[in-house]
Amino acid sequence: MSLLSIGLLYGGATLFVMFLGMPIAFALGAVATLFMIIFMPRGSVDTIAQNVYEEMASITLLSIPLFILKGAAIGRSPAGRDLYGALHAWMHWIPGGLGIANVFACALFAAMAGSSPATCSAIGSAGIPEMRKHGYSPGFASGIIAAGGTLGILLPPSITMILYAVAAEQSLGRLFLAAIGPALLLVALFAGYAAWKFRREYRDAKVQYHSTGANSALLQVDTLTVYDKFALLPRVLPFVILLTGVMVALYGGYATPSETAGLGAILALALIALIYSVWTPHDLQPILIATLRESTMLMLIIGMSLLYSYVMSYLHISQSTAQWIVSLQLSRWVLLAAILLMVIVLGFFLPPVSIILMTAPIILPPLKAAGFDLIWFGVIMTIVMEMGLIHPPVGLNLFVIKNIAPDISLRDVVWGVMPFVALMMAAVVLLCIFPGIATWFADAVMGTK
Amino acid sequence: MAHGLDDVETGQGETLPRGAADRILAFVNDLMVKASSAALVAAGFVLTYSVIVRYFLKISTDWQDETSVFLIVGAVFMSSAAVQALRGHVAIETIVGFLPAGVNRARQILVDVGSLAFCAFFAWKSWALLHEAWVDDYHSGSTWGPPLWIPYSLMTIGMALLSIQILLQVMGELRRRSRAR
Repeated sequence: MSLLSIGLLYGGATLFVMFLGMPIAFALGAVATLFMIIFMPRGSVDTIAQNVYEEMASITLLSIPLFILKGAAIGRSPAGRDLYGALHAWMHWIPGGLGIANVFACALFAAMAGSSPATCSAIGSAGIPEMRKHGYSPGFASGIIAAGGTLGILLPPSITMILYAVAAEQSLGRLFLAAIGPALLLVALFAGYAAWKFRREYRDAKVQYHSTGANSALLQVDTLTVYDKFALLPRVLPFVILLTGVMVALYGGYATPSETAGLGAILALALIALIYSVWTPHDLQPILIATLRESTMLMLIIGMSLLYSYVMSYLHISQSTAQWIVSLQLSRWVLLAAILLMVIVLGFFLPPVSIILMTAPIILPPLKAAGFDLIWFGVIMTIVMEMGLIHPPVGLNLFVIKNIAPDISLRDVVWGVMPFVALMMAAVVLLCIFPGIATWFADAVMGTK
Repeated sequence: MAHGLDDVETGQGETLPRGAADRILAFVNDLMVKASSAALVAAGFVLTYSVIVRYFLKISTDWQDETSVFLIVGAVFMSSAAVQALRGHVAIETIVGFLPAGVNRARQILVDVGSLAFCAFFAWKSWALLHEAWVDDYHSGSTWGPPLWIPYSLMTIGMALLSIQILLQVMGELRRRSRAR
């Protein structure tokens, strides 16, 4: 059988079992094993367990469950509510300050928890009712939270970034640093849009007030005392110090990424015990259960994706496909656009984990040959996958919002996030024009590659 | 008897009285979830200890990374059956909504049988690897060099439990179908 036929069969079989509804981890493992039995030497199938173990036993990959534990500890405590409250108290005087406070709270919480759905849930459950109480339209309020939550997979310690670093064999520290500039860009774009949209809704409310006398909540001004401003700081500052401390430990050379994950998880558990008295086995059980559930599901997908990639590489499917893409001699921007389009389409069906591990062996060699910096591409790819979290049909964050604010229609939520999808596209374009937004900070800290 | 992850359990349609095998596995899953939770936290403490002794006490570290790997790999495999009990292994369910109920049930059985075949095969190969590591006394290549039967045994037990869990789910679905007739 020709290589092309084997490759098509491999891809076709994978799509078939996945769309049949087999769990992604088992589908990838089953297809890889079947092709090992049929197309690889007899002894190779005896090594599947060893292959999966050796791929999973990477200390970098195994930092993922510990980062999830850190995120679950912070995400399931009232830290999100307090963080949001503190930012609101300090920013309420700015026009549109409530929306901007929500964007900043999402960014800070995402950096602490490292999870998009957890960020949406933690900040949104306090932020959406508060914004609506202040007259923000339901779509606008949910758009801010859904989009702000996506920063969870871009800001360090992003699990998506860890996987990309492993798959692309790039420095995780450099990748984390490269994500900071684009994340700040997105925060600025989201906050700018929040202020602009607020002014529009405020203007409409004022016109309505003058014509009908209806006094919208948007027109009311909050009066918060100095006490209000300082009351929440003692609860919030330790988490901000934790966030900073963990980053200092990583970049100061005190700890490896996995040690940073372990340290972060233990410190997060210690902080919620001290600040919120969450320490009994009964209190900790939901945190540990949520961590195990997500980690087990994710790590099995990772292990089987790596087995899948190994078989693809052994059968020369990935190398031949990569060579074929290179031989097309597309212009580098057409190549990039085609690859990003593929990532968007795959994002309709697959989680970022599988997209990265399954496509990296195929798409990275052509991108490298076209002269793209793979650290820069990792950031771009992550932003594109972030968009997948808020656009239909999958849009995980849309459903998180629907869960915490069930009275907002899905239609309102979808329309509310669309301007943010456009802003993320604009950020991708800006990063293509000014790649330094991603690479400058990493180069400044770690030296030019 | 509670499943280890009952707090987050969602409904799975009509429930039938559970047999002894289901109850025993639920009990085992509960134990595994507790042990896995403890293993995760222990891994966090081991890595924290590693940072402290290396930078504050200037003691070189050798066993910490591998111990964490064993603990986390163990936690992942040992809790996989409990996650499967809740259908927590994520799948693409795009076509599910378009299929008639009868076809969908048949699809689910087909998917479960395929998953069972793969997991049982993987458990068997893990067992072969464990046996080889035990008989030939395999150790990891690091300076610490712990025996590899430890993680391989956790992988074997975890995959065996996962296979049994899927088998019980297939049997439960078949029982439900035969009662419906």
